[in-house]
Amino acid sequence: MSARVGTYLAAPVMAFLIALCVTPLLILFAYSFFRVDFVAISYDPSFANYAKIAGSATYRGLILKAFGSGALVAAITAVIGYPVAWFIAKRAGAMKSALLTLLLVPLYSGDLVRVFAWRVLLGAEGVINRSLIWAGVTDAPIQGLLFSPLATHIALTYNYLPFMVIGLWLAFESLDDAWLEAAADLGAKGPSRFARVVLPLTSPGLIAGGLMVFVMVVGDYLTPQLLGGASGITVISAINDLFGTAFDWPLGSAIAWTMLAILMAFFALGAVLIRRSSLVGGA
Amino acid sequence: MDRRLFLKSALAGTALGAFGPAGRALAATDLLWMTWENLAKDDYLQPFLDGSDVALTKTFIGTDDEQFAKLRAGGASSVDLITPGLDKVSYYTASDLLQPIDFEKVPNANLLYDTFKKTGLGKVDGQTYGIPFYWGINPIVYRADLMDEEPDWSVFFEGDKYNGKLAMRDYALEGIMIAAMYLGIPRDEMFQMDDKQLAEVKKVLMIQKSKLRTYWNSIGDLTNLFATGEVVCAFSWVPPYYDLKEKGLDMGMAKPKQGVIGWCDTIAVPKGVEGARRDAVFELVNYLLGPTYGKKLAYGGPYAQSTSAARDEIDAEQQEKIFIKDLSVMDSFVWKENPPRYNDWVALWNEVKAS
Repeated sequence: MSARVGTYLAAPVMAFLIALCVTPLLILFAYSFFRVDFVAISYDPSFANYAKIAGSATYRGLILKAFGSGALVAAITAVIGYPVAWFIAKRAGAMKSALLTLLLVPLYSGDLVRVFAWRVLLGAEGVINRSLIWAGVTDAPIQGLLFSPLATHIALTYNYLPFMVIGLWLAFESLDDAWLEAAADLGAKGPSRFARVVLPLTSPGLIAGGLMVFVMVVGDYLTPQLLGGASGITVISAINDLFGTAFDWPLGSAIAWTMLAILMAFFALGAVLIRRSSLVGGA
Repeated sequence: MDRRLFLKSALAGTALGAFGPAGRALAATDLLWMTWENLAKDDYLQPFLDGSDVALTKTFIGTDDEQFAKLRAGGASSVDLITPGLDKVSYYTASDLLQPIDFEKVPNANLLYDTFKKTGLGKVDGQTYGIPFYWGINPIVYRADLMDEEPDWSVFFEGDKYNGKLAMRDYALEGIMIAAMYLGIPRDEMFQMDDKQLAEVKKVLMIQKSKLRTYWNSIGDLTNLFATGEVVCAFSWVPPYYDLKEKGLDMGMAKPKQGVIGWCDTIAVPKGVEGARRDAVFELVNYLLGPTYGKKLAYGGPYAQSTSAARDEIDAEQQEKIFIKDLSVMDSFVWKENPPRYNDWVALWNEVKAS
């Protein structure tokens, strides 16, 4: 197939993507410069909404909280994901397919099912609290297990761990064991082999998996809302309030675009890092 | 089943399938009603459909805001009847989306309870755009087996006995109204609070937040939280009270003396509905305010209609259940209104939750 035919074939798909994905975002971007007067949108462009975000400790805090949660969960999933991905890629043998399928099983259930499963585990009358009371570890249920940031981050880690493992597993699959053998022959100990050989060579998988987890955690508002209790507010639920209850589409759009711009910056940084690590890997 | 019986059944099924859509297509007017699912049960509407030449299509909403967003985004031309909250009608009128109610075509509107006749909500320049349809209260619901006494609004702001066992709806309007009632802000000032009053409200809402187990978003979720004992007391809707009582839990429902939040939904007709469709819509509106629908709603909901049309046909126990036995109870209601500074209210609510 020539490049020209390929271009013609791709054109309808590109047009479809632009019409359905890019155009709404551009409309949202335009709205972010308008303002609302009761239920009427005033089409008088200004940076007032962006100034409001910059001047509001609440919105700044919520944006920071979202990215903080994203980074924390990405880090936790990386720590858990490394040994799991290594085992599946290098030690599972014939069990590889079965383990990968098992890894994805939780994703087949819906978000709400997973949330309620965590409630059954973490609730005051839940499995963990009852076990602790039965074992005499505590007299009363530990309330902080559920409806707390702890519950939120446990569930987020569980939800998005498979995405990190898959990214790392792909990286481990392409990691030639000869590199590790050579490093060992040259006297490198375990931690040194990991830091100087494994980490650089699997970093494209780590960055790709990390970005995926990061983005999904930043955009998840159901889990914090249903497990986070009184502290479960997220920037996404605040945007939802602005679009729905307050009918302040312009401010909602401005916050959404601020988030999008920061995420795009992270993606650009990720792309640069992947490119650099690929160069290192190929050297 | 032998072959002959099978063929007969298949033919009968095919015939029914063919006549179903045909019957619908033959109706003179096909109306689209945007509403809550619990208001448009087939059983509630069948008497009207049987007695008229109207076919009704229903499209269900999840929130009032969603309904407004759909109409605001250009959906008004395809909808014949909508169900906005009484406090939200001003959104629609300000956006020029509604036409006035033609009371000549809605004789059952004469039976509206006085509260709804007199209210200024849903009206512009004396003309009614959203006619009160059904109503109720949002009380405090609590686990009577886990609380010592009937609570009032102060339970959300004072003492520490129930810390971590309380829940509040995640809704700025009602959350701030409750704080205002607790602070004793008069009803006529409540929706026009100045900066000083809003600062006071924010202060007590911060205290409230420290006492909450969670903010709830769906009534099913709250019912679940009551059932598992995670929450013992919440600002709630009525259904968890009856649902859990039926399941054997000792539930209580408190209507605080400081005031109870009353809600009312209206029915409103979008601007573009004209001619025969308009006549058919008002015929339907009249039915929805009439005795047959009112009785079905009272027992099936259970919810109270805004008119007295069905009141005498409802037994005392059910009247009590839907708050129409003693109508003076309405005097303690604080009806939800849309505050002019609602954006500030939402910002304040988010500030409290993010604190």
